[in-house]
Amino acid sequence: MPVLNVDKVAIGYTSTLIIDGLSVSIPEKKITTIIGPNGCGKSTLLKAISRLLKTKSGAVYLDGRAIHQLQTKEVAKKMAILPQSATAPGGLTVFELVSYGRFPHQNGLGTLTKEDYKHIYWAIDVTGLNEFKDRPVEELSGGQRQRVWIAMALAQGTEILILDEPTTYLDLAHQLDILLLLQRLNEEEGRTIVMVLHDLNHASRFSHYMIAMKGGKLIKEGDPEEVMTFPNLQSVFNIDARMATCPFSNNPICLSYQLYQKNE
Amino acid sequence: MKEMTTFMSKSQHKAKKRNLFIVGILAFFIVIAFFISMNTGYIKLSPTEVIQTFFGYGNEKQQLILFEFRLPRIVIAVLVGMGLAVSGCILQGISRNALADPGILGINAGAGLAVMLFISFFPSTTAVPIFLLPILAFLGAGLTAIIIYTLAYKRHEGISPMRLVLTGVAIAAGISSVMIVLTLRLSPENYQFVATWLAGSIWGSNWKFVLSLLPWILILIPFVFTKARVLNVLNLGDLTATGLGASIEKERRVLLAAAVGLAGASVSISGGIGFVGLIAPHLARQLVGSRHQFLIPASALAGGLLVLVADTIGRWILQPSEIPAGIVVAVIGAPYFLYLLSRLKE
Amino acid sequence: MSIRSAEFTEIEKLEEIKKHTHPVIALVVLFGGIFALLIAIGLSISFGAADIKLVTVWTAVFNFEPEITSHQIIRDIRMPRVLGAAIVGSCFAVAGALMQGMTRNPLADSGLLGLNAGAAFMLALCFAFFPGLPYMYLIMYSFLGAGLGVGIVYGVGSLSRGGLTPMRLVLAGAAVSALLGALSEGIALYFQIGQDLAFWYAGGVSGTKWINLQIMSPWIIVAMIGAIILSRSITLLSLGEEVAIGLGQRTKTIKLFGMLIVLVLAGAAVSVVGAVGFVGLIVPHLTRYLVGHDYRWIIPCSVVLGGLLVVLADLAARMINPPYETPIGALIAFIGVPFFLYLARKGGKEL
Repeated sequence: MPVLNVDKVAIGYTSTLIIDGLSVSIPEKKITTIIGPNGCGKSTLLKAISRLLKTKSGAVYLDGRAIHQLQTKEVAKKMAILPQSATAPGGLTVFELVSYGRFPHQNGLGTLTKEDYKHIYWAIDVTGLNEFKDRPVEELSGGQRQRVWIAMALAQGTEILILDEPTTYLDLAHQLDILLLLQRLNEEEGRTIVMVLHDLNHASRFSHYMIAMKGGKLIKEGDPEEVMTFPNLQSVFNIDARMATCPFSNNPICLSYQLYQKNE
Repeated sequence: MKEMTTFMSKSQHKAKKRNLFIVGILAFFIVIAFFISMNTGYIKLSPTEVIQTFFGYGNEKQQLILFEFRLPRIVIAVLVGMGLAVSGCILQGISRNALADPGILGINAGAGLAVMLFISFFPSTTAVPIFLLPILAFLGAGLTAIIIYTLAYKRHEGISPMRLVLTGVAIAAGISSVMIVLTLRLSPENYQFVATWLAGSIWGSNWKFVLSLLPWILILIPFVFTKARVLNVLNLGDLTATGLGASIEKERRVLLAAAVGLAGASVSISGGIGFVGLIAPHLARQLVGSRHQFLIPASALAGGLLVLVADTIGRWILQPSEIPAGIVVAVIGAPYFLYLLSRLKE
Repeated sequence: MSIRSAEFTEIEKLEEIKKHTHPVIALVVLFGGIFALLIAIGLSISFGAADIKLVTVWTAVFNFEPEITSHQIIRDIRMPRVLGAAIVGSCFAVAGALMQGMTRNPLADSGLLGLNAGAAFMLALCFAFFPGLPYMYLIMYSFLGAGLGVGIVYGVGSLSRGGLTPMRLVLAGAAVSALLGALSEGIALYFQIGQDLAFWYAGGVSGTKWINLQIMSPWIIVAMIGAIILSRSITLLSLGEEVAIGLGQRTKTIKLFGMLIVLVLAGAAVSVVGAVGFVGLIVPHLTRYLVGHDYRWIIPCSVVLGGLLVVLADLAARMINPPYETPIGALIAFIGVPFFLYLARKGGKEL
């Protein structure tokens, strides 16, 4: 049962459309990744799904209702967004930043209620940030900082989590750390996760559903077995990939690749 | 309430208590500066005389000096400082630019130009109701803010903090050249008045000025305070703020209008006091952190304190003549600004 | 593509610059500019309260007869003024060109970077404490003040993490200008020399005398020659410090000399005309647009076009509302501010 439905969406500026007439469904309680080469419109699609960008035509439906007609606060109670390379203002502590995730549930001066504290402490705990909670965010390492932002999104207490390249600029171990955390959230809490990932093998290993895009169009969607195939990678990324099987997830991965030469 | 405090972790509880304590200390400093300032001036009054007079036991001359000259001036200094500081606090929050300040962004210049036009066309300031000045200044500041905002706005990209600052600097330069043209046309007496005003002196030592400024401060600062949590999330950037369910465009416009109102009203009374809107919020941030629930009151108090101290120093340092508070603030503020600039990353 | 060495691309860059430099156009600009400048000077001399024909200007210059009044007016009042305007314009323009090249900052201008405010501050001090100080000393203090302003701005820049970004330079300049401006204002208010200073601040070449020109010209001639000698090195520096070092340039020395020249030029100009901004911003940009990126052409063309701009601005300042003079600084700001805004908008990415 899809929670998010993208229906014939077109997005772009006055003359040029980045995405033209794209339809796709995001399955509930699953991890979905969007892949594609640079400039294919994957971040744009993610922004449209999370109502950060307005669609020119078509609509995104959240639980069957057009997202732009919903109160932005109501949407924020159902879905949390982690934009690419978010930066915190100086001097903010981990606790404070995570507490901002409670914004859509607050009114007036924003005094934290018992319910708020429960969510905040749980989010800090589940992301393993307990020992850092009174430290300024800017003093943390890149991987820790990314976990703080995820904690903020978790404190929002939403069913859906949307992340734009959550592993960029992190080293190998920290990338895996973030993805394992997301996997756990999906398995234990049943959260729906939608994200853009650059690393194909990570995408294949951790997702239940993949969306491959190129030039603003949908090329292929389905489970990793269906999407991560030699012909698909050839048409989406212009590469000749040697495929293998991931020893951890049994999903297909790309072992190495050559540039694809068209036969003239 | 009790249950809540037990639910809060110890460190959170401590941080909250600490911040309340710091706000208290700032308020206490203002009280001290208040008494020192009461003592400062051409005619010497001893501390005991001040306290006696303050509680109604002074002679007529002492009462005149304190209640008709010094007290209104002190109140104005504090109010102006609060207005400018909170204005800067808002601008820094919504532009995500640590260096935003009504002065640097040209808003003060706009207010100044409006007031200056008014003075050059209606030279006798006593004839017109004084409460017109804040409104005029607000219009001038508002118009400038709109111009800067429009010029810095690019379709598809919105407002980049850097473009906002550069546009502000340019507009301020343009306005100051218009003001120079106007300056040269003034009669020498009016010139002296305008020049003193532009330099940022608390010239209206008069209860009327207090009354014309007070409503702006009393309405706008509490209003901004109720927007603290909105400012908190706006500070995280447009995307994150939208994701959290804030209507960013609407909120930003409302807050910008409040910032313009505060800066305009303050500048109309005090003239061009720069840097307060920059320094006070920074100082406050060092003390109480980035959450606007504490940042706003702490900035307001720090700003009030700063201008009061500057005005007092200005009155005291070259007695019997006075140095406008704006000059004293610039002398303290510019080095601090440069220090911040050198520490800023990016 | 990735195999090419760093030097190779540097040489490519240089060739790129050569390709985009148009010697023919540059020559046209240079000589056309000189011609226009001469005409503008002639017009400017002939225009004024006493109407003087262009022919009279010609004879006054080349066939001077002391007993004719109009010749006297031309010699004693108008010529120094107009020549002063031309020289001041050239100085600001070359100072701006050097700064833009050395800092690779499209927004560099002596007015924006605190130099003018520094010089003005020093002069306010002189007005207040040594009224009637001879011009010979005044100009020295002006150099000193310019050095003070730029010293603070660059000091802050060099202390910063991440170095001098254009934005940081502009902001530091604005802050230093505000500080020095506030101090000047304080002095002006205290010593009641405000309106005198305001007139002078607003910029005007009306008070220029032969003696001023005499004193400042040796400085300026030396500085201009220096600028032309440095111009090739500035072209390299404008490619980036690392590239210049890679090509074997001693960048520190070049920068030091460049800065000294800027100080002399801006200081001398401010001592005559006051804190006029934006000339050093507009002219080099215009020149670059016309003649390309080679500073061997940019600097001489800036000399000519800068002079032309200020002579015309001075002429306009007298024509707008006679017999009053509109402050020339304000007039140039009216062109300069939109231009700055345009640059700030356009340069969103490269800044």
